Amino acid sequence: MPDPVAEKVIATLASVKRIPADKITLDTNLQDMGIDSLDVFSLLFELENAFKISIPDDDVRSIKTVNDVVEGIKRLLAAAPPSDTSMGSASPAN
Amino acid sequence: MASRRVVITGLGIVSALGLDLAENWNALCAGRPAIRPLEGVANGARVGLKIQNAAQVRGFDPLKHFQGGKDAQLDRFAQFSVVAARQAILHSGIELTQELREQTAIICGSAVGGQSAIEAGFEDLWVNGRGRVHPLTIPKTMANAGASHIAMDLGLSGPAFTISTACSSANHAIGSAFRTVRDGEAEAAVTGGAEAFFTVGMLKAWEAMRVIAPDTCRPFSKDRKGMILGEGGAMMILEPLEAAKARGAKIYGEVCGFGMTADAHHLTQPTVEGPSRAMRAALREANLQPEEIGYINAHGTGTPGNDPVESRAIRAVFGGHADKIGVSSTKSMHGHALGAAGALEAVATVMALVHGILPPTANFTEPDPECDLDYIPNQSRKMQIGAALSNSFAFGGLNAVVAFRAVPR
Repeated sequence: MPDPVAEKVIATLASVKRIPADKITLDTNLQDMGIDSLDVFSLLFELENAFKISIPDDDVRSIKTVNDVVEGIKRLLAAAPPSDTSMGSASPAN
Repeated sequence: MASRRVVITGLGIVSALGLDLAENWNALCAGRPAIRPLEGVANGARVGLKIQNAAQVRGFDPLKHFQGGKDAQLDRFAQFSVVAARQAILHSGIELTQELREQTAIICGSAVGGQSAIEAGFEDLWVNGRGRVHPLTIPKTMANAGASHIAMDLGLSGPAFTISTACSSANHAIGSAFRTVRDGEAEAAVTGGAEAFFTVGMLKAWEAMRVIAPDTCRPFSKDRKGMILGEGGAMMILEPLEAAKARGAKIYGEVCGFGMTADAHHLTQPTVEGPSRAMRAALREANLQPEEIGYINAHGTGTPGNDPVESRAIRAVFGGHADKIGVSSTKSMHGHALGAAGALEAVATVMALVHGILPPTANFTEPDPECDLDYIPNQSRKMQIGAALSNSFAFGGLNAVVAFRAVPR
């Protein structure tokens, strides 16, 4: 049963680390796949954009596996519907 | 500590002319410019970008050099820094023991740092209407990112910093590294410069200065119309002469003097006095007589303003001997790479000393009575020389001249 949240998280991780998505499972440990603190910043940025959520700093500290990320995002999505963080007044320049 | 002679034992370079030393030197000898139609600058048409041509690095694939997503942590100028430094270390054959790593300095020049990162951040904010900016924007933009990534990549932990003096950055860096090694503050140095700034915002800013040629860069030629912007990075390995000899290193040349001055005059208009004082200072420190200089790699931007003034400055320093010096601007081939310019040109100068071939001023069409020196037009010249200068004169009136000598015998 495809899980769209998990798929998106895995695709984002694969893109950040430049590795094939099929090398990543829900059980993959982030540290084991060479994710360092800078990668975490990039990952969170991409996930916040992808899911239109804001991930609190406290939620980040407990993340160890891919599944932790997926479950954390699901919790955030359930708690609040996706909201765009864009500023209302900004519009693309002509 | 006693003053030591400082030699160059390794060179690395990535520029529009090529992705390594051999490609660069071949193009320089052939007088083959890498000035081509501008490519890959997003949104140029939307904002009416007029700059047509540039000397861009082509075929550089970051994924070949940086694995596991590291490429995304380095802005393009920092990628050039690391790749050029790796090449230079490899070229030098130096063995980096733990002791030497701790005593190796990294002194790099960059005028504007990681422009792609900061501009992408502004685009996210103001164009894409996003409320957040990529979290690596700061560490990718900082001008010292090049030096920092070289340190981490090669495990070098001696004195390390970046000098930012616009178009003189790399010459200030090389001169400082020379003195650092000479005075015993480091046992080796990685030094040079890197720049990559082809973002639409930066190009519009250059366009507004009205110094960019619509076609190509023709330094010292009567029909010159301005500079052509370039990008790239070059690094060299400096060691004390005795250490290089002791390990049987191949020595490519000696850095023997450095002169720096300020015009204290105008933000963009050069003077004769400032550059001439810088050239004299470099000669003095090198203990070189003016008659010993056989080649000058000129600042030679190809702007109406620089070239006659630089020619007069050279004339003021060298008098009648100026007619015997080959003077060329290799910016006619690799473009003006701002904070990396001095580094690309140092490589050209050192290779000229090694091979006895003076790279030409390409795209030269017509002599200008205001520029009355021998500019080695269009074709390189076989000429064994003993010593050379490399000039860099920055916006803001900051001048830096490095003196090189052929391999000590």
